[in-house]
Amino acid sequence: MDPLLLARLQFATTTSIHFLFVVVTLGLVTLLVYLQTAWVITKKPAYERLTRFWGTLYVINYVLGIATGIVMEFQFGLNWSGLSRYVGNVFGAPLAIETLVAFFLESTFLGMWIFGWHRLRRGVHLALLWGVALTAYASAFWVLVANAFLQNPVGYEVRDGVAHLTDFSALLTNPTLGMAFGHVVSAAVLTGGMLMAAVSAWHLIRRTADYALFRTSLRIGLVTAMSAVIFLLGFGFAQFGPVGAVQPIKYSNDAAAKSALIADWTARFGPGDYNPPPLAGAALGFMILIGMTLVWGVFLLPLLFRDWIIRLRFPLYLILLALPLPFVAVILGWIAREVGRQPWAAYGLLKVSDAVSPVGGGMMLASLIGFSLLVGGLAVANWVLLARHAHRGADDLALGRPPETDGARPDPVPEPVLV
Amino acid sequence: METVWYALLGLFFAAYLVLGGYDYGVGLLLARDAGPAQRRESLTALGPFFLGNEVWLVAAAGILFGAFPMLEGELLAGLYPAVVLALFGVIVVTAAVQLRSRPASDRARGRWDRLVTAGAALAALGWGAVLGGLLQGVPLHADGHVAGVGHVATPFAAATALATVALVAVHGASFLALRLPGEAAERAARTGRRLVPVALATLAVAAVVGALSARVREAVQQPYPTVLLVAVLAGALLVAGRALARRRHGLAFTATALALAVPVLLVGAATWPYALVSTVDPAASLTVADAAASGPTLRLLSWLMAPLLPALLGFQAMCWWAFRGRIDGRTPVYW
Repeated sequence: MDPLLLARLQFATTTSIHFLFVVVTLGLVTLLVYLQTAWVITKKPAYERLTRFWGTLYVINYVLGIATGIVMEFQFGLNWSGLSRYVGNVFGAPLAIETLVAFFLESTFLGMWIFGWHRLRRGVHLALLWGVALTAYASAFWVLVANAFLQNPVGYEVRDGVAHLTDFSALLTNPTLGMAFGHVVSAAVLTGGMLMAAVSAWHLIRRTADYALFRTSLRIGLVTAMSAVIFLLGFGFAQFGPVGAVQPIKYSNDAAAKSALIADWTARFGPGDYNPPPLAGAALGFMILIGMTLVWGVFLLPLLFRDWIIRLRFPLYLILLALPLPFVAVILGWIAREVGRQPWAAYGLLKVSDAVSPVGGGMMLASLIGFSLLVGGLAVANWVLLARHAHRGADDLALGRPPETDGARPDPVPEPVLV
Repeated sequence: METVWYALLGLFFAAYLVLGGYDYGVGLLLARDAGPAQRRESLTALGPFFLGNEVWLVAAAGILFGAFPMLEGELLAGLYPAVVLALFGVIVVTAAVQLRSRPASDRARGRWDRLVTAGAALAALGWGAVLGGLLQGVPLHADGHVAGVGHVATPFAAATALATVALVAVHGASFLALRLPGEAAERAARTGRRLVPVALATLAVAAVVGALSARVREAVQQPYPTVLLVAVLAGALLVAGRALARRRHGLAFTATALALAVPVLLVGAATWPYALVSTVDPAASLTVADAAASGPTLRLLSWLMAPLLPALLGFQAMCWWAFRGRIDGRTPVYW
């Protein structure tokens, strides 16, 4: 089989799965920062329980984010060595910064946060969560800096057949960066809020004992999601201008600009099909449709008054049914942005066919099947565990359990020595 | 400046092998633990360090990509099967350690624990094969690309892969001897002591196979430092065995940590001044200077790294300090 197609499929598979987990990571950590800060300030035990419950789901979800993230990073070298060879001097820098500034610290902080309950001082423990959140946002930013360069290469010059960095600030002011970052962050916060509201709705529908806890998180989740959806649409539509200007074939209706660009590419790279696949446009349309659907949720906000949203019950079902929508939309958004720039690995600079590693079809197929099964299987296992823990509710959580009370835990605690 | 960044790349990868190494060692030794309680105890010893250990790999890959883009593509694509094997292992361990305690039943946890062990073995085998693959060179052609993947599968790469598994297992045992309480620490130390001769034997096999392989002899540019570092590695293992017998667990851990850091230094020193040695065309070998990113990129990354490196090391040190000592009844249990 064609190694190029296989390499693209592998990238699409791992990225999509990665994206499904990182939007939840980014969204939930934002809400956790609110919950734990509220706990430290007000000292109300309700906020501690909320932090522990949503923290448990956050930490389970984080597992696949990190696992797929590792695959993503190595995939560039494994399958796309032409990319690092040609634009690595420019494209590699933001990715290196992402791993060092953001991801490295994020995981270090998170490890201490998970095990730091009852061990570190409250302020330090809260600061760790703030650190996790800030580095998570930094991570999203630097990944998008790298992606924006591939969408619209800037700040470089080609010498001896290799791109060299000339202006780093141009990478940061890339017209395909700013609005896209706002859009992705809004999508993440929306998804986190929707997840929180939907899980709470599930418990309220089933009338579990924890009414007060899930009432609070329903309100927080819904208000967050509906605030985010406004920004989501704003940043989304704001992208048409700048992206249309640099990628007229993707979103613009300017026929003259399109044909001029195709003529330019044909002159430089030879004749070929430079139109993006129709899939990209279809994905864009459906994504906008989902956004427009979710925005109707703002009409649920007045129902928060006197808990009508819970008493009427049908809004709870609506929230539950809407949960898959943001996940579908982020995949569609990825397709619109990334498939929409085909056939380019770096727009107008390097085609995907020149970027793919000279690895044989058989090897690439084995790698695709292996990674898809592994990552897909782990993703399903992860979702099952997430669903079970969401269903189980906030009683006897492992995260933040005080060490003295052994609870219903079957494991014996190690005996103290060397005291 | 390229040399500094090459050293930094080596530092991060060596730190990953040392820190991730005991994650995998503990994972391998889960197979030895008798019951669910013992396995949980081992994972609790790993506890807060686990996430902070795995990120050294990601950071090393980041430096490889940012500072050595030429090397990144050819190294990873050139050693494709070994890297994929290692990544499989890393992903399985990373996910399985974090998820194993989320199901409530001991049976489900037991299944995840077997995945931890399998993933740890794969990761150690894979990185061992990558190190061996670097020492035996790759068929790098003048056009800058590596042809084929069959060149990785040699007796030498297999020997280095097995030696790495043995090293990692000893390291895991010395970590557990340092972290577990009382009798459990003694048991880990006994396991470690029994594993030292095994590790020495695999190391000897790898050294002999390497010395007999014409490819390795040609790829090694600096024979004296190479032999010296192999001796240091063997010496570290001997010291670790002695220290475990005398219950000097801190010294034993230091020695096994050294034993896992040395292979990275060995590969870097043996092939110097090359980063990637070509087996088909000596002129196509990639020197460290040629592999590095161009001046502006390295300057940018250096300005960033100068203030950042102390912060990265500081936060890692904070984690080690906050959770130092043997585990006891008050240790948070989560994995």
